[in-house]
Amino acid sequence: MDRRRFLLGAAPVGLATLVTAGCARGPGVQGHSYAPSYFRPSEWEFVQAAVGRLIPGDGPGPGGIEAGVPEFIDRQMELPYGHGSYFYMKGPFHPDSPATLGYQLRFTPREIYRQGIEEANAAARASHGIDFARLEAARQDEFLESMEKGLLAFATVPAPALFDQLLENTREGYFCDPIHGGNRDMVAWRWIGFPGARADFTDWIDQAGVKYPYGPVSIGGAHT
Amino acid sequence: MTTPRKLKPVDAVIIGFGWTGAILAKTLTDAGLHVVALERGPARDTAPDFEYPRIADELRHGIRGELWQPLASETVTVRHAVNDTAVPYRKYGSFVLGNGVGGAGVHWNGMLWRASPEDLRFRSHIQERYGKHFIPPEMTIQDYPVSFEELEPHFDHFEKVCGTSGSAGNLRGTLRLGGNPFEGPRSDEFPTPPLPAIHAAQLFEKASAQLGYRAFPLPAANSSAAFTNPYGVRLGPCNLCGYCERFGCFLYSKASPQTTILPVLAARPNLEVRTGAYVTRILQDSSKKRATGVLYVDANGQELEQPADLVVLSAFQMHNVRLLLLSGIGTPYDPSTGTGVVGKNYAYQMCGITTAFFSEDTHINPFIGAGAAGLRAIDDFNSDHYDHSKVGFIGGATIYAGATGGRPIEQMLLPPTSPRWGAAWKAAIRRHYRHSAPVTLQGTVMSYRDRYLSLDPTYKDKYGIPLLRITFDWHDNEYRMAAYTASKMEEIVRHMKPQTQATLLLKPGNHYDTRIYQSTHTTGGAIMGSNPASSVINRYSQSWDLPNLFIYGASAFPQNIGYNPTGLLAGLAYFSADKLKSSYLKSPGPLVSA
Amino acid sequence: MKGKTILVLTGGAIAALAAAIAVSYVGDGAAGENVSPTPGRNAELIDRGAYLAKLGDCAACHSIPGRPAFSGGLKMGTPIGAIYSTNITPDPTNGIGRFTLADFDRALRYGVAEGHSLYPAMPFTSYYNTKPEDVRALYAYFRYAVAPAEIPNRASDIPFPLSMRWPLTYWRWLFASKPTSFTAPAGLDGLQAQGAYFVDGLGHCGECHTPRNLFMQLKAVGRADGSQYLRGAVIESYFAPSLRSSGVGSLRDWSEEELVEFLRTGANSRGITFGSMSDVIIHSTQYMTEDDARSTARYLKSLGSPEQVGQSFVYDATSHRALKTGDASAEGAMVYLDNCAACHRPDGRGYERVFPALAGNPVVEAGSPDSVISIILQGSTSPRTAAAPAQFTMPAFAWRLSDVEVLQVANFVRSSWGNRGTQVKLQDVGRLRPGFMPR
Repeated sequence: MDRRRFLLGAAPVGLATLVTAGCARGPGVQGHSYAPSYFRPSEWEFVQAAVGRLIPGDGPGPGGIEAGVPEFIDRQMELPYGHGSYFYMKGPFHPDSPATLGYQLRFTPREIYRQGIEEANAAARASHGIDFARLEAARQDEFLESMEKGLLAFATVPAPALFDQLLENTREGYFCDPIHGGNRDMVAWRWIGFPGARADFTDWIDQAGVKYPYGPVSIGGAHT
Repeated sequence: MTTPRKLKPVDAVIIGFGWTGAILAKTLTDAGLHVVALERGPARDTAPDFEYPRIADELRHGIRGELWQPLASETVTVRHAVNDTAVPYRKYGSFVLGNGVGGAGVHWNGMLWRASPEDLRFRSHIQERYGKHFIPPEMTIQDYPVSFEELEPHFDHFEKVCGTSGSAGNLRGTLRLGGNPFEGPRSDEFPTPPLPAIHAAQLFEKASAQLGYRAFPLPAANSSAAFTNPYGVRLGPCNLCGYCERFGCFLYSKASPQTTILPVLAARPNLEVRTGAYVTRILQDSSKKRATGVLYVDANGQELEQPADLVVLSAFQMHNVRLLLLSGIGTPYDPSTGTGVVGKNYAYQMCGITTAFFSEDTHINPFIGAGAAGLRAIDDFNSDHYDHSKVGFIGGATIYAGATGGRPIEQMLLPPTSPRWGAAWKAAIRRHYRHSAPVTLQGTVMSYRDRYLSLDPTYKDKYGIPLLRITFDWHDNEYRMAAYTASKMEEIVRHMKPQTQATLLLKPGNHYDTRIYQSTHTTGGAIMGSNPASSVINRYSQSWDLPNLFIYGASAFPQNIGYNPTGLLAGLAYFSADKLKSSYLKSPGPLVSA
Repeated sequence: MKGKTILVLTGGAIAALAAAIAVSYVGDGAAGENVSPTPGRNAELIDRGAYLAKLGDCAACHSIPGRPAFSGGLKMGTPIGAIYSTNITPDPTNGIGRFTLADFDRALRYGVAEGHSLYPAMPFTSYYNTKPEDVRALYAYFRYAVAPAEIPNRASDIPFPLSMRWPLTYWRWLFASKPTSFTAPAGLDGLQAQGAYFVDGLGHCGECHTPRNLFMQLKAVGRADGSQYLRGAVIESYFAPSLRSSGVGSLRDWSEEELVEFLRTGANSRGITFGSMSDVIIHSTQYMTEDDARSTARYLKSLGSPEQVGQSFVYDATSHRALKTGDASAEGAMVYLDNCAACHRPDGRGYERVFPALAGNPVVEAGSPDSVISIILQGSTSPRTAAAPAQFTMPAFAWRLSDVEVLQVANFVRSSWGNRGTQVKLQDVGRLRPGFMPR
């Protein structure tokens, strides 16, 4: 079994470093119009702003907005995943169990976003007087980091739970096949050099160590 | 639910249609029995379920896990210690359970190991080599009641069924360069040759040689060439597509029941496979000396009774144990007294990983990989392949190199100094994605008096039936084993000459963490042994309590090995199948006197 | 299915004939001849009949899944309406239980039953040469070993007046071969002659593999008829390849041994069956005795005049070399890499008996690109046989590839690795796309 997840899952604990924020790209700077189905306007603004900071568009490489991550997240909310159908959601719930025993909240992903965003905006208004999406990029980064580290206390959804949900879905939307609405034009795959759904390396079985020369292809058949 | 409808009796009923279910279905239908196989998941086959290109969808299969058991219907609960309250395993993390025809044999990696000869008589072996008192009292390890020599023909057969690629290290007692020098003597070479090493494995191979270790191709049930197995079933060749573990194979290469056994069963009139059939209990007669069939809920929610002369319990390890407990078969294990057998000796695996981060002119191409083909391993530090008298623990680990794919959501390797998000993360993924490689250790876990399986008192499945509860955490022996083998692993990685390297390892104080994928190699709970006081099944996988009940899978392992379990559990199943054919079916009854 | 295919053609023939010939009713009672006495329940004869029924592939049209064997009901579309195969079980009311041996013979070899002409979906045009002892064996099998099924025949959906059968009689008179007991063509040895009996008779190979004329009659029914015989023909959306051994796209490079293997398993190291031939393998040729398969192979290998044999396929590594070094600039190369190479390999050589080689494959090189295009669009599944239980499926790519991409990749596979296929036209792709209906 592959155990990379092992590293990924555990390494960041306590090791995350603060990211220096570049100039922010505000919400709505999408080149692609998409009307959200699940998210309400204020939530949509939040999701776009957060995604825009988790994977910023400035500097080299595609940002989360450019990759269509918010659209991906909205679409996921309408699928069984968003409704929590992939998870065991029966009570009783013991949210204070050791973290090592995994997710123990009563919230589905939809509920985490709905409830969590409202509470995050309330916290942003309390500390800064405006919603999260209206903050300057550097303030948004600070706010996200506080959520991540659990330095903010929301009324019902733990701030790290909202942060983890956002980060997990943002990475999924960045790297998934474009069939799911994210990774638009395979920008993230091209950025890292992943050939996507090619799934054939017959000619490289005897060329180990040689740089793989081809760009990605998607399930739908788009290639570069 | 109303009174269950009683169906027409059959000769044998099989619970769970994965690897061992398929093996037994073939054996029993070969013998002319009328067999019904009950599988709770859906029917699945290469076409259309694993077809290219739709299978190459990381989100759908690698992350959401469409081929896995839906936890919403049934999961397990977990606690670290006997007096804790267990909570449900609500989202996938630590292990992933199979579902549907083929079971976990669909989404596995195809690492097809045999056990080492000493693994099968581990308690005796350790006592003979290191003295009676070397094994700590809380460690409840046992011998298998069957030897390597007895299992060898069956290991060999299963390797051929799977078109396994590899290189013999010990052919009939003669050591051969290029293979595993620590393996027990094998009667035959692997059916297909190993694939060349992927780049990370090449670097590992070279570094290992510099340190005097003997790296070899990891035995892979990813056939390396078109191959026809002993049943006449043709397999395709592996092309290192990078979508192996967590996926079904679109190339007919990775061995699964679908690609190796089910094609010959497809047209058999004496086999009926019922999918969507959720078995809730194994029924016994009033004397509790005989299984009479099973109770199950069909896809429409109808409760049915399927009477049968022979019951084959071949679900996943955890489900086997849960069904025994739900059915009241055998005495449940009690950790306070150490008595009882059902649920006893639950074990897991201890894993660690060292990632090598290379410069940008080293092209690892992580997306080129397979579950097992193209990987290289060393077995120098596994099992009792080295002197344990001074190391302070029992057991060990295989160490292997190379990734099973470079799927970016799950398999992105970044140095621990990289942030989790932001512009620096974006820069790091580009810098490292194509230039980093993992080396992994997969280690033994011994069995202990306080680690076991039982029914949860609180949480229920979708039918209101109690979930299985896991009581598990690491013991010092395993932390020490991991530290020792990781130091060897790190040394090898240093010789691979990366720019930097980072190790992730569990240390004393780190509890069992269900959030992080480690291994689906859960074992024990219905263990095999030489007497009914300390085991659930005999050497032929036959229940001590109900002689017409046979139980297959890693639930039989008295403690866990440092190898993937499929080779061993398939060997045990074929060994039993042979005995069924030669003795039991002619004259049903206990095959070993208690 | 073959039957279905022929009917598509037959519908056209009926329409053409109805327009061309305007005469009054013609009776059919005269057709047929007396044969030997009605056989009894002779086990050996019945066994022989069962085997011959497989060779004749009767089940392909007369049996459908989920219904009693040989009870008919297979729907076969024609441009003028669907027809349904008939119940040939020994049920006296619905089947052929009241047929005498002579009646049976009339239906099998003359295409006449109960006083009217059969649609030539029934390949009496090939069965005409069946030997009397084999007709008896078949009769014995259907009379005594098949279970009677009380399933009524279904009338055709063809509206009046097109449902009138008299034009079929004219067609039969004009185009069907005169029934005769098989005699070996000149110049064949014993084994080849045995093969010819199967190929031209019960095997009815020509019904798909020999091209047809304006009135849908086969252009050739035997070896003596010249180079049109078994030279390949378009059948529905496929091209049934040439069974001759002359030139590009023929069986020139296939050995007798490889042909035997193909007939009995549906695959060999050079290719895997597709289209309606898969049904033929499943229902018929997998059951061939070694002897019958070998005689068939040997006979087929005798087809092809030395001057037409042409060059053997020679592998050319240029295309593969380019792909292996990162050059997919050739037209269609990238489409190939993204869709085909995982199984058929960048070198076009595939994997023996799993994924067929495209390099040097006569179906790929054939004059007609229809099979290549249709397989790309619709995919293909290999047959499951007793000798080869694994079944391999190529998925459909119609949803993933545009017409231009199909065109490019079809041209790429037809011209790479030494293949000598001609250029495909864009309209060929459009014509063959699933769901395509002619205006």
